[in-house]
Amino acid sequence: MTGFWIVAAVLTAAACAAVLLPFIRARKPPAGGSDIEVYRDQMAEVDRDFERGAINAAEAEEAKAEIGRRALRAADADAASARTARTRAARTLASLSVFAVPVLALGLYWSLGSPGLPDQALQARLAANPTENSIDELIARAERHLVENPDDPRGWDVLAPIYLRVGRVEDAVLAYRNAIRLNGPSAERDAGLGDALYRIAGGIVTAEAQAVFERALAEAPDDPKANFFIALGMAQQGDAAAAVERWQAMIADLAGDSPWRGAAEQALARTQESMGEPAEGNGPTAEDMQAAAEMSAEDRNAMIEGMVASLDQRLRDNPNDADGWRRLIRSYAVLGRQDEARDALRRGLEGVGLSTDDGRALMRFAAEELGIEPAGNP
Amino acid sequence: MTVEIGHFALVLAFALALVQAILPLAGARLGDERLMATGAPTALVGLAITALAFAALVAAYVASDFSVANVWENSHSAKPLLYKVTGTWGNHEGSMLLWVLILSLFGGLVALFGTNLPATLRANVLAVQGWIGAAFLLFILATSNPFARLVPAPIEGRDLNPVLQDIGLAIHPPLLYLGYVGFSVSFSFAVAALIEGRIDAAWARWVRPWTLAAWIFLTGGIAMGSYWAYYELGWGGFWFWDPVENASFLPWLAGTALLHSALVMERRSALKIWTVLLAILAFSLSLLGTFLVRSGVLTSVHTFASDPTRGVFILMILMLFIGGALALFALRASELSAGGIFQPVSREGALVLNNLFLSTATATVLIGTLYPLVVEALTEDKISVGAPFFNLTFGSLMVPLLLVVPFGPLLAWKRGDLYAVSQRLFAAFGLALAVIVVSYALIDRMSVFAALGYGLAAWLIGGALTDLALKAGLPRASLGVAARRVVGLPGSAVGTVLAHAGLGVTLLGIVSVYSLEVERFVTMKPGDTLEIAGRTLRFEEVTPVRGPNYVEDQARFAVFAPDASPQGEIVSAKRVYTARRMPTTEAGIGTFGFSQLYVSLGDPTADGGIVVRAWWKPQVTLIWLGAVVMMVGGVFSLADRRLRVGAPAARRKKAALPA
Amino acid sequence: MAFLAVAAGLTFYALGQRTSYFYMPADLAAAIPAPGERFRLGGLVEKGSVDRQGLNVSFAVTDHDRTVRVRYSGTLPDLFREEQGVVTEGALAEDGVFVADLVLAKHDETYMPREVADALKEKGVWQEE
Repeated sequence: MTGFWIVAAVLTAAACAAVLLPFIRARKPPAGGSDIEVYRDQMAEVDRDFERGAINAAEAEEAKAEIGRRALRAADADAASARTARTRAARTLASLSVFAVPVLALGLYWSLGSPGLPDQALQARLAANPTENSIDELIARAERHLVENPDDPRGWDVLAPIYLRVGRVEDAVLAYRNAIRLNGPSAERDAGLGDALYRIAGGIVTAEAQAVFERALAEAPDDPKANFFIALGMAQQGDAAAAVERWQAMIADLAGDSPWRGAAEQALARTQESMGEPAEGNGPTAEDMQAAAEMSAEDRNAMIEGMVASLDQRLRDNPNDADGWRRLIRSYAVLGRQDEARDALRRGLEGVGLSTDDGRALMRFAAEELGIEPAGNP
Repeated sequence: MTVEIGHFALVLAFALALVQAILPLAGARLGDERLMATGAPTALVGLAITALAFAALVAAYVASDFSVANVWENSHSAKPLLYKVTGTWGNHEGSMLLWVLILSLFGGLVALFGTNLPATLRANVLAVQGWIGAAFLLFILATSNPFARLVPAPIEGRDLNPVLQDIGLAIHPPLLYLGYVGFSVSFSFAVAALIEGRIDAAWARWVRPWTLAAWIFLTGGIAMGSYWAYYELGWGGFWFWDPVENASFLPWLAGTALLHSALVMERRSALKIWTVLLAILAFSLSLLGTFLVRSGVLTSVHTFASDPTRGVFILMILMLFIGGALALFALRASELSAGGIFQPVSREGALVLNNLFLSTATATVLIGTLYPLVVEALTEDKISVGAPFFNLTFGSLMVPLLLVVPFGPLLAWKRGDLYAVSQRLFAAFGLALAVIVVSYALIDRMSVFAALGYGLAAWLIGGALTDLALKAGLPRASLGVAARRVVGLPGSAVGTVLAHAGLGVTLLGIVSVYSLEVERFVTMKPGDTLEIAGRTLRFEEVTPVRGPNYVEDQARFAVFAPDASPQGEIVSAKRVYTARRMPTTEAGIGTFGFSQLYVSLGDPTADGGIVVRAWWKPQVTLIWLGAVVMMVGGVFSLADRRLRVGAPAARRKKAALPA
Repeated sequence: MAFLAVAAGLTFYALGQRTSYFYMPADLAAAIPAPGERFRLGGLVEKGSVDRQGLNVSFAVTDHDRTVRVRYSGTLPDLFREEQGVVTEGALAEDGVFVADLVLAKHDETYMPREVADALKEKGVWQEE
């Protein structure tokens, strides 16, 4: 920043010096040439042509006479226009210019430029400390690494869940498949792949996804993700009873603070509710969708809670997301959960940095729009 | 920081250009020598600052700094380094910056080497350059700022149009701009002289090296652009009479006319008004070209993404400079003393004839280019004026001009002897006749027109050689003396010979391609052979190849001479650039002597073959080699010591150092 | 003067004879050019209409109003695609098919030939991004 202003000042000074140079130089500025010299040279050329034999003596004489006449006229004109003076107006004009150059340059730059914005060369961005990278930059870093080392097993393992989280589900499927190809299947990879397949299908546990989840369960029978989706698949195929049973077993086994508890409980509640109504054969998904649209207010609340919880979880994993925090704080405030809103604000400020622009904006947003102050000591 | 320094430098360059536009002009008015002397240092510092801004943009491209919107739109991190650099001017904003950089380069050169000019003329020239610079810098800052930033910065760019990812982009636009913008110096000289109200024979000599330099670059730029289109677009054509090609050709024609009329003015102090007008027109046509390309008013394969506000802005600049200069011209033209009268049969008479043809040709090309616009504005009909129009009108103007070209340099100034000159040209005439007869008799498929075309080319080259022989003192002098004299000839004499001969060489290439070209259009499978103009082409195989930012299917063809001996391989490809998912055809070209075998791929067919289009292009390279010969002629002429007259030896040495 | 008059005459003769009109398919409903008269035909390449038979290609140019069948023998430009703008030059044959000897599609993926863009915009079929 300071460096920029120093360079800008040096440049401006050079520009002003250029204007002033003729005024501060003791030496008289060069008077410049005159057309007489051209005619003198033309004369010499005629002589050379004559010596070469290109023209004869009469032609040479005639040409020289013509040039001579022109030279005389030029000398008269020179004499008439030779009036170099040093005027006061000149000095004023030059001083004004010296003043105008920096004013104009700074004024224009101020409105057009972005003085504080540093360069962002791609290499430097990607080589920077990973904690300073945005999620996009991290992904680009990993991708670049994998272009060069396409068989790096760890790279795919790292990248796949990130793709899933930012919603690039097709890339996620590819990455999970690569990870499984290179590392062999594991419960975590299979469950992730199943999740990605489920999302590509638009929220349906397809046969392919189901097979993958089942493979995950073969590795780790109590993997919550795989269990959850297997149950969801059962529900989608109309086997609500089996789904309920599976979810109940899953909830019983889950650790108290597992993020899956909420999701499972909600899904269980909804499925139980729909069981109360007459089952109409193997309910296809289209009807599920219909049901979601006609959801009761209660159900919708449950869904919102679910969304808020997943947003909360996402922000715990990736706290440098000012927009996300803003949404989360607003959601808690709207739901009337003031304590959690305050806690979210505190975490958000930690996440984006208290003294950054984003941090200040977040604080202002919370205070002015929602009347919320951070909880505890940020 | 670099990017912002570049941006600041650009703004500062604008402020300084304004000062350069005002102070020297005021100095010349007031007669204040110090104020006039501000022209040179402001021009030089302005050049340095503009160069810094340009360097900053290049640096941003090389570093793939996608926080710069212009870089993000036109670059990609996977692009090879060369195309990252050349991509800087492969788009509207960057190319405008290059345009302004070259403008200030010429300003700086006038400041450095213009020490032989009278102080007032030099001050006025630099001031007019300042006006042009300020106008275009304002245009860049207001409508096309290459330093606009993006926050947050995207992680990957959108890549450069693949057609531009070629070595041609490194050479063609800079050369073309050096030509276009070079005419700004002639323009500034004309306007400066009009402001002063003083134009004489010496003016013509001062302006000549600048016109010549611009002409050399423009010749090179047009030839390079033509060759680039030939091998890159895959159509095998070298000139399409496309509006943008015409836009570069118009100032070339006007500039060529200017070079010739300035000769008359220098030697005979005649054609003053006309020469000044041509100097104004040459640059006006360059500006018009810029307007046509940038505004998108004409359909062309060359236009950048267009933006109406830019068009309006450039139109305003256009009207300001062209209108202003012409108004000044109208005001002062009556005050300029008309030059001497002269005989029609004389060197100056021949040069006037040259000007008549060239300016009429300029007018027809201009009319053909703008006619669709006019018709659309008046009747809402949409029409296109294509090659048939230009070939007919331009062709019928060029043939008589080329016929008289050999006479010009042989005629004496003032009073020429047409009979004597005809006698001297007897050998060239005989050569032309022989070429017509022999080519018609010996070459298959030779039409009468083509044979006459060959004859015209031989006439031009023979005429140029006759000129050289006579200047060397042949046939009177011995060969040894003549050889020594050729070495001692003034550069401009050699330049004339080369430029006129180059014209003949280019004509030879054009006639050959038009009359003897062979085209084959077939479906081929690996192993198939194709016979074309005596040679055999065997389709070997198709292999997929992965480039830095593209994938391509390369088709390999083995070439065999008529006697079945192998003559190497031609590789032609269908390429897809990954970032934009854009396909291009990469023509395969094999050069045999001056001729070329051109192979371009079409679509694959259902049965596993591929459509192949092959051309035999006889003597096609002569088209561009002729342009190179013309350029070399220009360089010889530029090196002529007479053009540096007035710069005393000591001062010249000093001035040469910083360059 | 005589020279200039000749040059001007030549130019206007050539403008009258050697220029070609630009039509959209719908324009051909109003005024059908005589078979053999050269003109330019522009529009969008109709979806599913491209039929390649070895070296010969046939496709339909449409403005979503009328459609004209085009025959062409040659390599199509790289960016020739269905539902993209195209300009062809040639003449109508006796059977009402437009026989083109030139097919233009620009060398830029966002390009729409200007004449085509103007005409389609008037019809509201196509919008600039």
